[in-house]
Amino acid sequence: MKDVIWLIKNLFKVTFKDKKKLFFTVGLPIIGILVSILIYGGSNTSTLHVGIVNHDHSMISSNTVKFIKGLDHVQVKEIKAADVEDKVSSGQLDCVVTFDKGYTQSIQNGHPDHVNIVSIKGATVTGFVKSYLNQYIDNINDLSLAGKGDQETFHRLYTDYQQAPFKMTTGTLNDTSKNNDMTYQAIGFLLMFMLIAAGNLSSMITQEKEGRTYFRLLSTPIDSKKYVLSNIITNLLIMIGQIIVTLIFMTKVFHIQLSMPVWEMFVTLILFALVAVGLSLAVIAFATSSAAGNAMLNLIVTPSCLLSGCFFPSGIMPETVQKIAHFLPQTWLLDTIDKLQQGQHFSQVYLNIFILLAFACAFFLIAVYKFGRNNNVNNFI
Amino acid sequence: MKVLEMKHLTRKFGDFIAVDNVTLAIDEGEIFGFLGTNGAGKSTTINMIAGLLHHTKGEIRILGKDVTKNKKFAKSHIGMVPQDIAIYEDLTAYENIQFFAGLYGLRGQKLKEQVEEALKFVGLSDKAKSFPKTFSGGMKRRLNIACAIAHRPKLIIMDEPTVGIDPQSRNYILSSVRKLNEMGCTIIYTSHYMEEVEEICSRIAIIDHGKIIAEGTKEQLKAIITNTKDIWIGINSTDTLDLSQLKLINGVKEVKVEEDVIKINSSADVNNLNTIIQYFIAAGIEIRTVEEQAPNLDTVFLTLTGRNLRD
Repeated sequence: MKDVIWLIKNLFKVTFKDKKKLFFTVGLPIIGILVSILIYGGSNTSTLHVGIVNHDHSMISSNTVKFIKGLDHVQVKEIKAADVEDKVSSGQLDCVVTFDKGYTQSIQNGHPDHVNIVSIKGATVTGFVKSYLNQYIDNINDLSLAGKGDQETFHRLYTDYQQAPFKMTTGTLNDTSKNNDMTYQAIGFLLMFMLIAAGNLSSMITQEKEGRTYFRLLSTPIDSKKYVLSNIITNLLIMIGQIIVTLIFMTKVFHIQLSMPVWEMFVTLILFALVAVGLSLAVIAFATSSAAGNAMLNLIVTPSCLLSGCFFPSGIMPETVQKIAHFLPQTWLLDTIDKLQQGQHFSQVYLNIFILLAFACAFFLIAVYKFGRNNNVNNFI
Repeated sequence: MKVLEMKHLTRKFGDFIAVDNVTLAIDEGEIFGFLGTNGAGKSTTINMIAGLLHHTKGEIRILGKDVTKNKKFAKSHIGMVPQDIAIYEDLTAYENIQFFAGLYGLRGQKLKEQVEEALKFVGLSDKAKSFPKTFSGGMKRRLNIACAIAHRPKLIIMDEPTVGIDPQSRNYILSSVRKLNEMGCTIIYTSHYMEEVEEICSRIAIIDHGKIIAEGTKEQLKAIITNTKDIWIGINSTDTLDLSQLKLINGVKEVKVEEDVIKINSSADVNNLNTIIQYFIAAGIEIRTVEEQAPNLDTVFLTLTGRNLRD
């Protein structure tokens, strides 16, 4: 073990004497946090951009639109049906409410229907509009039921309802969705930088082979297993440092609320650190040179981060791509964090944790198998 | 005492036999020259001694112990100076030596003393805090040696330690090798520079196609080929030279022309120098110099392997 500690100390020295490596390891995740603050920053009160497509063109549907317009922090824009997908996927609108023909009729019949909400931002956005809209539609529906199918009675009741004053008590709840988005984005960046850092450290194995120091190391009482083990431990320690620095900056410097206990976030990210080290080792084991290793890592890291939603929510991707993302560890890590932020207990995300561990095990097994087959000193003398 | 013994050492790569039934023993205090062309099996043998490669057959003993069963023991008594400079560019000279010495278990004051000693030995004490990227090729080679000797090994393997350096650094390294030997180290020395091997080695082995084809002291090796002699004749012009006539002279085995020097290899027991000179006079070729070359290791190597060491 003394040998391994000696090797770890040297790896730390070699890694952090290079200021560029230090910046890549610690500086970039902090820049990632800053970027996510810039994206999601600004005042705490956010305005919800809602698109309306009204195919019903009735008084009730027009009044419903007016009701939505009257909600606090909601900006409404009437759009054409053909523009829905475009406006939502480009982020110009947070959601679109569509009133299909027959909306008024369905309310008058006592079975409200023909209204749809489309969003890629999930329940955090649609929930707000939906809850107000449900309440409003339920009220009109009650009037319809009270009118017992008589149109005249319904219209009289509806006009009275429109004009009647009512008392409303309001309370304020913190909107955590924005913080969650910021955390999600910052963690997305952190995942990418963790993968890059793991790749850089693992590629030191090939660099040492090329620089012949590996050859010299093996001529000392150190064997290749101890050497690779020390690389793994160093890699993990550096990543733990990276996680700690990022979490400190997120919570203490930039005051981003994680919406989950810090220790849960820490443990989850450590799991991903294992995946990152395993993946980088598996890739390096296949690489014939450090340049090839770095190229392979770049080819894997950036697209997989993109597909799994490290840079923006994967919901805007086509369904097929979203299915592919299920084969990426980042997807499971982000999903774990999302679930924990929504209040699930750590024990309830055991499947995600198991999947992340399975990814790590699979990568390590591939690396061990490949290293075992090509770790012949004859390859680099 | 035998520092290194190899018995019937064989290494195969698939069907290719890189080292074929090599048996050698090196005594304590020797500087042992190990010669061979590229691909002759020299590096494979060295890598097996250093524990970097497994042998297919045979036995290697370091200080009497089988390396297969006592790998750590064997490695801790060997200092490896690889042909390629194997140092960390991001660590200072001191840190490089300290790191490699630490891998042999040295710690604390002992480590500090031995690192400083190694730096002093290779003449880099004043460069202890400098990074190798600021070093000349010769200085890097010296640091490469320091990394291998700081733990005071019994056996030092030096694989081409003077490749690509200036004469001053080469002389420094050669005198360091002698000094290390005087301090009690046994050294295995490989080089493409025959004059270096001739200058410092007490015993030499020549390996070709994986087999040891000759082994002994310089004198013993030269004695193998004393049945021939080399006569070098410097002339002004080769225009009227007829090599076929020269080859007809009694005893002449081979004639080569290198610029204005005619190199004649002849049987040692035939006194034909007068006849050779008379040929040049008769052909009207003016002779500038006549030299009879004593056999050297180059001649030995060429005779035994049919190739020059640098081929």
